[in-house]
Amino acid sequence: MDSTAALDDVLAKAPAAIDAAGTLDELGRVESGLLGKSSAIGEVRRSMGGLDPAERPIVGARLNEVTEQIQSLVEKRRAALEVEDEALLLAQDRIDVTLESYVLPDATTHVLQQTIDEIVDIFVGLGYRVADGPEAELAWYNFDALNTPPTHPSRLESDTVYLDYGDPADEVLLRTQTSPVQVRWMETHDPPVYVVVPGKVYRKETTDATHLPVFHQVEGLAVDESIRLSDLKGTLAHFSREFFGPKTEVRFRPHFFPFTEPSAELDVSCFDCDGGEPGCRVCGGAGWLEMLGCGMVDPAVLEAVGYDPDQLSGFAFGMGVERLAMVRYGINDIRHFVDNDLRFLGRFR
Amino acid sequence: MKVPLRWLQEFIDLPTDDPAELALILDMLGHEIEGYEVMETGWSDVIVGRVDEITAHPDADKVRVCQVDTGEGPEQIICGAWNFSEGAYVAVARPGAVLPGNFEIGRRTIRGVESNGMICSESELGLGEDHSGILVLEGEPELGVDFEQLVELPDVVFELAITPNRPDAMSLLGIARDLAARFETEYRVPPRPLRTVAGAPRVKVQIGDPDGCRRFTAREIRGVTVGRSPLWVRHRLRKAGVRPITNVVDVTNYVMLELGHPLHAFDADAIADDLLVVKRARSGEKLVTLDGEERMLGPEDLIIYDGEGPTSMSGTMGGARSEVSEGTVNVLMEAASWDPPTIMYMSRRHGLRSEASTRFERGVDPNLTDEASARAAAMVVELAGGDVSEGLVDEIAKPLEPLRVELRARDVEHLLGPGIDSGEVAGILTRLGMGVEGSEPMTVTVPTFRPDVFRPADLVEEVARIHGYERFGATVPTGPAGGLTPEQRRMRRLISTLVGAGVSQAVTLPFVSMEGLEALGHEDSSTLLRVTNPLREEESVLRPGLLPGLLVAARYNIAHGARSVSLFETGRVFRAKPDESDPRLPLQIDRLGWVAVGAVGPSVLGAESHDANADVSLALLRRVMTVLGHEDHRIAAAPAAGFHPSRSAQVSLAGTVIGHAGELSPRAARNFDLPGRVAVAELDLAPLLAPVASVVVGSPSVLPHVDFDLSFLLPVEVPVGDLVRATVEVGSDLVESARVFDVFDGPGVAEGHRAVAIAYRLRPLVRTLTNEEVQPVRLAMIAAGDGLGARLRGV
Repeated sequence: MDSTAALDDVLAKAPAAIDAAGTLDELGRVESGLLGKSSAIGEVRRSMGGLDPAERPIVGARLNEVTEQIQSLVEKRRAALEVEDEALLLAQDRIDVTLESYVLPDATTHVLQQTIDEIVDIFVGLGYRVADGPEAELAWYNFDALNTPPTHPSRLESDTVYLDYGDPADEVLLRTQTSPVQVRWMETHDPPVYVVVPGKVYRKETTDATHLPVFHQVEGLAVDESIRLSDLKGTLAHFSREFFGPKTEVRFRPHFFPFTEPSAELDVSCFDCDGGEPGCRVCGGAGWLEMLGCGMVDPAVLEAVGYDPDQLSGFAFGMGVERLAMVRYGINDIRHFVDNDLRFLGRFR
Repeated sequence: MKVPLRWLQEFIDLPTDDPAELALILDMLGHEIEGYEVMETGWSDVIVGRVDEITAHPDADKVRVCQVDTGEGPEQIICGAWNFSEGAYVAVARPGAVLPGNFEIGRRTIRGVESNGMICSESELGLGEDHSGILVLEGEPELGVDFEQLVELPDVVFELAITPNRPDAMSLLGIARDLAARFETEYRVPPRPLRTVAGAPRVKVQIGDPDGCRRFTAREIRGVTVGRSPLWVRHRLRKAGVRPITNVVDVTNYVMLELGHPLHAFDADAIADDLLVVKRARSGEKLVTLDGEERMLGPEDLIIYDGEGPTSMSGTMGGARSEVSEGTVNVLMEAASWDPPTIMYMSRRHGLRSEASTRFERGVDPNLTDEASARAAAMVVELAGGDVSEGLVDEIAKPLEPLRVELRARDVEHLLGPGIDSGEVAGILTRLGMGVEGSEPMTVTVPTFRPDVFRPADLVEEVARIHGYERFGATVPTGPAGGLTPEQRRMRRLISTLVGAGVSQAVTLPFVSMEGLEALGHEDSSTLLRVTNPLREEESVLRPGLLPGLLVAARYNIAHGARSVSLFETGRVFRAKPDESDPRLPLQIDRLGWVAVGAVGPSVLGAESHDANADVSLALLRRVMTVLGHEDHRIAAAPAAGFHPSRSAQVSLAGTVIGHAGELSPRAARNFDLPGRVAVAELDLAPLLAPVASVVVGSPSVLPHVDFDLSFLLPVEVPVGDLVRATVEVGSDLVESARVFDVFDGPGVAEGHRAVAIAYRLRPLVRTLTNEEVQPVRLAMIAAGDGLGARLRGV
């Protein structure tokens, strides 16, 4: 057999041999069997020197051609085997994806803080500022300036916590509402006033499932040149829809507070049932949820801070943060908020 | 207050009797509906009959055979009760009737005698507790009528929460007046004419305290027969939530529910010396009230005295000595006007809230005393007989005239906006019982039964209330410029940073117990802020710091099985010394505190957890300080009360100590039942949140860096942080980072020293560093270490 025929023969048999290699090692052996020194091709390469000079370029060209083709087949096969090999390795590297073997530390913002931030943000969006004030407060700010007469029952020691501090005539107490901050703000700021006041308030309450001696309120106050009852209604309706959802309806019932006139209580439609579903877990079938107290700022309050009630008017409102959170999340015991049980806190992401 | 609808309808013709609709309207008038009860007739087929003949049963001696006329001729009914005789009007359950409890009445034969139905007792009809005998009806009701008509069934009882500014609304009259104003209809007081005989009360009254008692009106009714009230009175009282007692006492309650003016009936013969004097009590005096309690009186109590001493607690509860009883013959019917705060304090002091005191403490109209006492006297005569003398006691210590308030159209528009014309305003106010004259301004005469109305704004509220809040529009005014302050925004970053670091936010009560403070192991108790009127010992001291509350919260979690707890709180702490903002107030500042116990950081399966300790607390501190831009804060080892003496640091900002971070003292940890080491910190919040100048941050250099390590032998008393800071300072802005990667002492390290290895990375900002430039920096760092007593190791 002449050299060219030998090369053709090798080339014809090579694909089957290469494809038969099942591993990279086998492929290496097949490759050296096909192209190595002792292979048929190797023999042809060695014999080149002894060839007729006229025949040499023809055989040489064929030799290179066949070698390249075989190498290309080997490389293809190698790439395929490498992919298979890696796939095998990756398969062996599998994990149990359900096993939580690395757990990041877990923490939450307190649900009351979340609720306060949410309320505050709604009003900040309406151009309100956020104010803060003393928790240990003078009776003048907590009561007198808010049109609460000296004989009002809320001032009794049975209802209000008084502090052993300062001039007894000042009656230093723990504020029973965030409203004194309204007064302090108006004393130090010119109108217009658009402000919300989140904070702790204190009552002389026996702790039980619905009472704590300390809880949180968010107070709101708007005083401007032509604030009217419709502004109070529109603002709190907007707030209610933002907080409870766009379908929320509101109603305002006349009520009484010393520091507003007219006064109202705001009810929102139940967000859990379509209104008055018997046995609803949220509204109990009433269809309405009592939400907050509000009203037009009493002229006596404006006078107390030196604002002219004939030129200015305003509205104020106050809501209990715990109550809002309890209603929204179906929390049945107010004490959960201050137990700080991580299992409870962790429920509010 | 309970309002039975059928009784209310005597005062007003309502356009609807749908309870839900009426409840909504009452709600929208400001009389909050706490609920309403639809009272169904509890029976069927019970009618009025008259017992015409009673004969003995031939074969049973415990029952009698009655012939009962129910309008359709006599029916024979066997009855076991003996409290009636021939001619008695009774309630008859006919055969087929069903009584409460699904008790069906049939025709029966009892020992050979037929019985066609049953004569009912009150308890069998579910009307009351009385089962001593059958119900004998008063008067001569029409035979055969449905018995339910006599007790006004079915009915609806509304339960209203009347606001404290509306004494007038604590009555059927007041509710009817508000409804009439809303419905634009009329209301009325059902007439109860009083016939009098010549004469005058024997009892004289002196008002010794005109501030406490504006007016004292009384009428004498002589020759009454005290007994049980008729069914209709008892049943109306029961529906209104008042227990019937005797006819005379029932009248006082009945008229109070109608008009809103409480009354008190004295046994006139039990008033010693025929004299009543109203004055404040003397300390040490005693009075036994109607409920049998002996009350110790004080100088603020307003008491009615007779010749023997205290005999009645004004406006709150009568005295036992002069109470109307079975044997009472002559009654003095008091309708007096008492000072609201006096009654409020007195009733609370004695723990005695009565129907009367809840009305008087709101302010009952002093000009109503005459009508109330006359109406009550007339009704006593109606129910208990007797004669009312023409003369009456009517002492007026302080007359009260109606107020006149000027109302401009502008006042209405100022609060309510345009759209309510003066005609509507005048109409609403008139229907509420006010006098309206003129138009601009309107002069409004406010009757004395509305003490809550005395300014234009009060009139505007009445207009809004009757017009209907629901009829006003909804608009949203916005502030000129709002938003959070820099401090408020930084507060939010602080919270999210701590939460992101795995620390949960806690909210604890701002009170501490002395026990909690002692457990923490420190307290300058002289500056603790105390409550003067604590409800419980645990709520008697305001917290001087956040740690006691946080440690209690940690203990709570550990006790409930938590393996690790990381909590922080921001909140106010208090001291009994002057506050900077207002020296009249005690010091109150906001703090940040945290506590961590047990595993912290990520948990890795199979790897040991890192437990909380001082290092964890200091790492949190660094994170907080970095986020808030306080890289220039300083920490220094320093003991602090409650903290571990040698594993804690004081934290300073701009030379001022703002708090401490580190580890809880082991003793405190034991006292709070916390296992292992406890990471704690407490810092003043204001300096943390105070805005800082923003740092100028250039582009990161892309030039090649040079890394080298230095290993120092550092005397133990020198903090590593000082060495790092000193060596970095001499490298100035070439030093990109310095990282301590090894600290050890022991074999091979000189006594009293630690080996500290630090990896430095230099990176030039303008051009590539050469070896010639690096070497001087390195030498300067070594020299800086030397300045702190640190030798380069291996040199």
